[in-house]
Amino acid sequence: VFPGVRQAQWLTKTKLVEGLPPAVQGIMDNPALGLQELEERAKHMVSHARLWDTAEAAPKRERYCPMLFENLIHICRLMSGKYPSLSKRMLARNCRIAATWERESILLQVRGLSGILMNSMSPIAPVASKEEILATKEHVLETFYPIAPTIDLQEVNVYKELNDTGHMCPLGFRDGYPYSHPHTLFFLESASVRTDRFRPEQLRAKMLMFAFGNALAKARALHGNDPKVLEQPIVVQSIGTDGQLFQFMVFQLNTTDLVSNDGVKNLVWIDSDQNLYERAQCVPEVKKGVVTKPAGISGFQPDTFKKFLALYLHGTV
Amino acid sequence: MAALGARRLLRPGRRWFSDTVPGAPSPPGSPLYPPVVASITAKSKAAKLRRLQRFNQRVHEAATVEEKLRLYGKLQRPKYMVYPQTFALNADRWYRSFTKTVLVPGMPPRAAAAKPPVATAGATSETGRAPEPRAEAPGHTEAAGNAEAPGGAKTPEPSAGAAPCPDIGELRSLACDALLQESFYQNKKRPFLYRDQDHTPGPFLTQLVSTLAASLSGRNPLLAASSLDLNPEVNYYWHHGNEVVVHGHRKGRVDPVRFQIDDNPHLQIRVPKQLPEVVPLESDLGDVPVIEHKPSKLPLFKKQYENKVFIGTKVADPCCYGHTQFHLLPDRLKRERFIKERLEDQIEVVYRSNGIASLFAWTAAQAMYQGFWNEADVTRPFVSQAVVTDGKYFAFFCYQLNTLALNAETIKNNPRKNICWGTDSKPLYDVVEDGNVKGFNDEVLLQLVHFLLNRPKEL
Repeated sequence: VFPGVRQAQWLTKTKLVEGLPPAVQGIMDNPALGLQELEERAKHMVSHARLWDTAEAAPKRERYCPMLFENLIHICRLMSGKYPSLSKRMLARNCRIAATWERESILLQVRGLSGILMNSMSPIAPVASKEEILATKEHVLETFYPIAPTIDLQEVNVYKELNDTGHMCPLGFRDGYPYSHPHTLFFLESASVRTDRFRPEQLRAKMLMFAFGNALAKARALHGNDPKVLEQPIVVQSIGTDGQLFQFMVFQLNTTDLVSNDGVKNLVWIDSDQNLYERAQCVPEVKKGVVTKPAGISGFQPDTFKKFLALYLHGTV
Repeated sequence: MAALGARRLLRPGRRWFSDTVPGAPSPPGSPLYPPVVASITAKSKAAKLRRLQRFNQRVHEAATVEEKLRLYGKLQRPKYMVYPQTFALNADRWYRSFTKTVLVPGMPPRAAAAKPPVATAGATSETGRAPEPRAEAPGHTEAAGNAEAPGGAKTPEPSAGAAPCPDIGELRSLACDALLQESFYQNKKRPFLYRDQDHTPGPFLTQLVSTLAASLSGRNPLLAASSLDLNPEVNYYWHHGNEVVVHGHRKGRVDPVRFQIDDNPHLQIRVPKQLPEVVPLESDLGDVPVIEHKPSKLPLFKKQYENKVFIGTKVADPCCYGHTQFHLLPDRLKRERFIKERLEDQIEVVYRSNGIASLFAWTAAQAMYQGFWNEADVTRPFVSQAVVTDGKYFAFFCYQLNTLALNAETIKNNPRKNICWGTDSKPLYDVVEDGNVKGFNDEVLLQLVHFLLNRPKEL
């Protein structure tokens, strides 16, 4: 019903900033990384995922979306030849996350399979300066009066709040796991039927909620359950795609005091609707004997791949 | 034909008997009559031979590799489906005879020669390399003192002085982390029935290979340009031997025996440059087993469907050579099942048959992607590697394809044989308990690292 991200912002007490944070932009613009050569490889990877992967004519989205993701991650991982500290990361698939919080006397919970999670041994440094964090105090959260902000949320009786340290582990991992800091979440919309996939706006809202959930669970694991403003904000990134369109998000959790509407807010930087390529033609389209659309990938945007790589390298470079 | 010719020459108007110079050749260039060859459409052996020659000519002249592959697999007939992962008894002997492969136990000589520098560097390192700065292992507790390293399970790691020696401690910790994450730390639901392999060993293998390949890519530039496939498809179709059609409207005709392998490795690494040859093309390292029975006695069953030749990507991909495949054995081929049925000797057969069949299919398909086929045999050997595992036990295989000419006509004068080196399965670790991996076996890890570091000499 509603533009999803605005609702998610209210639910997570977050202020939105368009575009990616300057730290990530700095990585992208850093010439020492040799991003130019990687463009060629990225193009090959896109061609592989969309055109060459299967013995049939064209692979389906359920196949090419995860395959494209795996290929891009493979290129990013191979950078650990140059930056050995990149090997302190581990991908976890099908991990379950659960976080509960109160928001103006409404109890909310985020649960479920949060896609693919990349964990790292060391946390990402906060992206926003102290002044920016304090400046969020003045920001007023958008309300949707008269519509309640919890519209379209499923009301469920929660019998066990999963933030207890006891039997259930909110982060999805047991204690003592060396890669304890959630780094980036990946969401792949790979359903073939278009109505089964999330629309970009809804995908961004989902990404925000899960990033928030992960950050909150980590904050509570580090600092306890009391709501407070965090000394060391926690940064969790999120990338969502449907095989062609990419959504990039960096979320910084500044406070776990979510009951009231005032005070320091959390921050999120969103770069939405980045196309990696225009179209992928498996068989050339011929109309009246003339090839109108040649086979191959057309309209490849290297910037989108650079952003992907920059978000991957963020925290170690 | 001669009488007719003579009559034609005797017709009035031809004064050949006085004018022609004896011995003068017929007009230079085109002969007077077309060549005398067998018919194309007759039901005779000569006609069949001619049709075969015309088909071979067509394939030779095909413009692109895709066209060649299309023509090669155009005719569909019932063929034997060869499964690399099979429970059939002594399947590796049969597979070796189908693919003309010689099995050499152990790893190829270059692997054995290169391994000691990594492993024994630990022994000689204390004296020679102690003063060298430890650039690679600043924070590892195991690296603290080689002298007081606990004996027993952990072999002394090599001191990290020289660049070519990978730091075993770091790789071991990567492997252990991958194992612990999948089996211990991550909260997962219970495994689905008979799908234990998808629950822990599958993700563990994926994690292990991807992290190891990434961390070794600095040493091996071939890995840095590689392409990793998850759950790819590898297919190959070939003929070997002759048989007589038993029943049906084609009864009594002599047909080649057709085979098709359809394989799904768990993981494979493809590279843009070929791996170097292990032994020269014409080497003879052993004998190929000869089996007098029909292939259906293995048991092997026939089906007719599309004849596919596929390495994992289409021909247009630049990474068209294979480096390493990783196979995961399914639940139905678990060790415990074989032990329960008192077939312990068949456990190794499972690993070997998987290695031989999968690697033959992969290397032969790579060769076909370069334009070779059974009438145009390979001019250089194709080498690929494979690791077959069930999550705990690892077996390593290296395959060199020397010949594709396996069908009845071309195999007669073909002295070349394909060669497969293979090890027995060894465990990587003993058990995982309480967040610790007990009994980690460094040799297996070293062999895996060695496989991943394999590259052509010029790189």
